[in-house]
Amino acid sequence: MAFKDNREYIKALDAAGELVTINQEVDWDLEAGAIVRKVCEEQGPSPLMNRIKDYPGHRYLGAPISTYKKLAICLGLDPNSSIPQIATEYLKRTNRPPVKPVLVDKKQAPCKENILLGKDADLFMLPAPMVHDGDGGRYLATWHFVVTKDPDNGDVNWGMYRQMCYDSYTMTGPLLPFSDGGKVFHGKYKPRGLPMPFATVIGPDPLSAIAACAPSPIPESDYTGMLMGKPVELVKCETVDLEVPAHAEIVIEGEILPDVSLEEAPFGEYTGYRTSPRDLRTCYRVKAITFRNDPITTISNMGVPTDEGQLLRSFSLCLEMDALLRSQGIPITGAFMWPESTHHLVVIGVKPIYSNIAAQIAQLVFGSKLGPWFHMVVVVDDQTDIYNYNEVIHALTTKCHPQKGIHIYEGAGTPLYPFLSYEERLKMAGPKVVFDCTFPIDWDPLSEVPRLVSFKTVYPKEIQDKVLANWEKYGFKAR
Amino acid sequence: MMLHYDVFVNSLADLPEDKELQLALRDLTPGKYKYCYKNVKALVSPDPKKYEQGLQVRFGRGQIHPAPYSIKVLEQVERIPERWR
Ligand SMILES: Cc1cc2nc3c(=O)[nH]c(=O)nc-3n(C[C@H](O)[C@H](O)[C@H](O)COP(=O)(O)O)c2cc1C
Ligand SMILES: [Mn+2]
Repeated sequence: MAFKDNREYIKALDAAGELVTINQEVDWDLEAGAIVRKVCEEQGPSPLMNRIKDYPGHRYLGAPISTYKKLAICLGLDPNSSIPQIATEYLKRTNRPPVKPVLVDKKQAPCKENILLGKDADLFMLPAPMVHDGDGGRYLATWHFVVTKDPDNGDVNWGMYRQMCYDSYTMTGPLLPFSDGGKVFHGKYKPRGLPMPFATVIGPDPLSAIAACAPSPIPESDYTGMLMGKPVELVKCETVDLEVPAHAEIVIEGEILPDVSLEEAPFGEYTGYRTSPRDLRTCYRVKAITFRNDPITTISNMGVPTDEGQLLRSFSLCLEMDALLRSQGIPITGAFMWPESTHHLVVIGVKPIYSNIAAQIAQLVFGSKLGPWFHMVVVVDDQTDIYNYNEVIHALTTKCHPQKGIHIYEGAGTPLYPFLSYEERLKMAGPKVVFDCTFPIDWDPLSEVPRLVSFKTVYPKEIQDKVLANWEKYGFKAR
Repeated sequence: MMLHYDVFVNSLADLPEDKELQLALRDLTPGKYKYCYKNVKALVSPDPKKYEQGLQVRFGRGQIHPAPYSIKVLEQVERIPERWR
């Protein structure tokens, strides 16, 4: 079962008690953002805001996938599924053959219910929220994706790249050069002096949005089909040679200019800070806007954990790392990021069968396409449960040698790291560190390796069984 | 004082008084077009009464400078070349 649009998903959220419908008027200028922010910090239900100041007929859905519960609902799972259960299902679906999208006629595409062209396609007709006080502008695109095409081989990419309304026909945003869309723009269109056609999809169905912010090499439309278990339905754009999901709420079409850049940022970011410098960034010129009746603009409010960027990027970055390490034959038990680390820290479990396996893991993941987005790798052995915070912090603080177990690398970064100096942010510096929390394999297991002192490891099986059998008799409550 | 525009700067040194400056302003007029950018040539002053319109100053991470400036917009500037408009 897969939701074809956010409207079906909203019904499912409601049925699971994960929706709050707000019928009183909400101001697009900070009030809506503040509601979504508080929801993220409380890990609360998603707000559906039905009346927006200055914009009758428009609606907002805030914090669409900001909890594991909502992620489970997106996948049609029991809302109370555990993280490993969600990951198992996600992997099952994303390991099947790609599912190509299908093209539908405009008449079957709700996103064509309203079409604004030329000077009528004015961005300020849409309720772009002022998400945080102090942002550089109104961000229309916070939970969305940008469709682009490679001019040489026709490969289509969907990437979630934020966009700020600059003026009626212009948006700006950081199309970072190592993203798939950025590589094609900065590497191909720009040097040739050609504008890059784009279509921004706002309010996509939940699985398309998940695909667009996942770092998978599989084309995102096929990836969505794999997650859905059926092809995603696309429709042709009005003014550019691109296709967009037929059931999206709002579509903005236009061109990225090869020779113009304009101010963008600051903006509240997934790290929980406003960090990346205000800078001259990519300039998107608008030619057409199409939208459904009573369109629902999605709002993600990035800031301190937990928002959907932190949750989903943590989730999908780890799964890609897991696949990468397994493809290289590294005997890992898994990879996990706490969303609270703002996907900066990954815990990787491994059977330490040879020396320096932690360094090999770190070099692989830092050197991969995923590398710019995180900078701390904690490698634990296969006895440590990577999902268990207590066990991981215990391993880190007891098994990592401060002089021999911590290694620092240079890598690729982003302008978003709060600890970088201003100059380092502009250069996208990427210092990285690995914490090796495995005991050296050449230690003598009898005389050198410390023995973990826990109920499960230092008592004979019969004593454990006896204590467990008598637990309530002793007077303790069963857990 | 009514604040008509705001502008982001790295430091107040970016806003010398009475010197013609090219600025990317945001329109603060309430309503649908609030925060729309306008590129202009203008004169500014830290004296909030010197010119007729109020200018809010913000720094690089969005922080508000507590003392509003005043501004006189001389002309609008188009930064997007004709061929893309
Ligand atoms: C809410 C949100 C906003 C994002 N904004 C940007 C952005 O402005 N620029 C960027 O390069 N990546 C951004 N990302 C990260 C990309 O979505 C991510 O790297 C994704 O994998 C890009 O797809 P690609 O692999 O096709 O480039 C954002 C992610 C999220 C969740
Ligand atoms: Mn991609």
